Amino acid sequence: MTGLVQFSAIPIGLGLIVIGAALGIGKFAAAAAESIARQPSAADKITGAINLPLFLLEGVAILAEVFAFLVLIMGR
Amino acid sequence: MFVQEIQEHAAAAVEGHAGKFDAGETIIHHVANSPLDEPLIHLPRVMGIDMSITKHVMMLWIVALLLFVVVTWAVRRYLKQDRLIPSGFMNGLEAVVVFIRDEIVQPNVGKKWVMTWAPLLLTFGFFIFAANAIGLIPIFDVLGLLDHYVLHTGDDSWVKHVMHGGTTATANYNVTAALATVTFGAIIVAGSKAHGVVKHWLNLAPHGLAWPIYILLIPIEIMGMFVRPFALTMRLAANMTGGHIALLSLLSLVFLFTEVGGAATGIGAGVVMTLPLAIGISLLECIVVLVQAYVFTLLTAVFVGMAIHVHH
Repeated sequence: MTGLVQFSAIPIGLGLIVIGAALGIGKFAAAAAESIARQPSAADKITGAINLPLFLLEGVAILAEVFAFLVLIMGR
Repeated sequence: MFVQEIQEHAAAAVEGHAGKFDAGETIIHHVANSPLDEPLIHLPRVMGIDMSITKHVMMLWIVALLLFVVVTWAVRRYLKQDRLIPSGFMNGLEAVVVFIRDEIVQPNVGKKWVMTWAPLLLTFGFFIFAANAIGLIPIFDVLGLLDHYVLHTGDDSWVKHVMHGGTTATANYNVTAALATVTFGAIIVAGSKAHGVVKHWLNLAPHGLAWPIYILLIPIEIMGMFVRPFALTMRLAANMTGGHIALLSLLSLVFLFTEVGGAATGIGAGVVMTLPLAIGISLLECIVVLVQAYVFTLLTAVFVGMAIHVHH
């Protein structure tokens, strides 16, 4: 059972995490590029506003990966 | 360049092993702290806590000492000159300090409290950056190489002891948890200083709502209070560990391929896959080191600012 968890569930989980994080970051980048293209003079403000939620998103993804890693270690 | 050094060190490790190459074991050994039963310096237990000096503790002291000496030296030298314009290293240092004060602290904390919180956040920024960056330099792997080819010390020597474990102190969850605990305390102190002790705790939940909402809201706010430092802990440590794991698993490819198809296949895999990818990851790590120090400082500033400027 632990072998099954290690060799199938964790890679699948990691893949799901990456899909989620990539979708989120992709939306951020798209929105940022679009709004900067519309209003180049506000580029600084837009970057500043995007920074914080971007890091929060990254934090969630990292947390999920840490827990996947914990499952891997506990399973040994 | 240092990629090759790690590679050579890993080769030395495999030679010494004289058995099958275990990628997972090697990677964990390189990322983890030195094991508790063989620390660098044995110290007695104080109140049930083992005070022995492990490798990450040593790295913490090295980072702190390095920062203290370098920054003090630069500032002293600047104060001694009779021109007001800083030059050389001091110029860069001043640019970073001004950036952290004006771009990170001031927008979040506000003009009134900048000078109260800038010192703490500057310390966070510099310390985390230095600890991250030193982890990127394989000092002890080079020492191991020297030992293997030049020094030939015995099994009990200090050099062999110091080879156990990684060099990035911030990749240790205990270190980042301690840093995040400081943030946790800073948030409470900031709120208490700005609004008074009782008002700070009342500020956690917005007032003027119907009472059934508070049954839901208060536990959520209390949970949020603990989740924020927890996320800080995990983000920094996981980012630093993750980079090392990625780098080392790429380097392990060489030995895995060598086991399967002989030395020629291993070298081929090394040249075609490992070297470009490992160089890429190393360059990415250079950015991650900067970004993570920035993120920790920024988020601490944001949380402190949230405690000071409560708006619901």
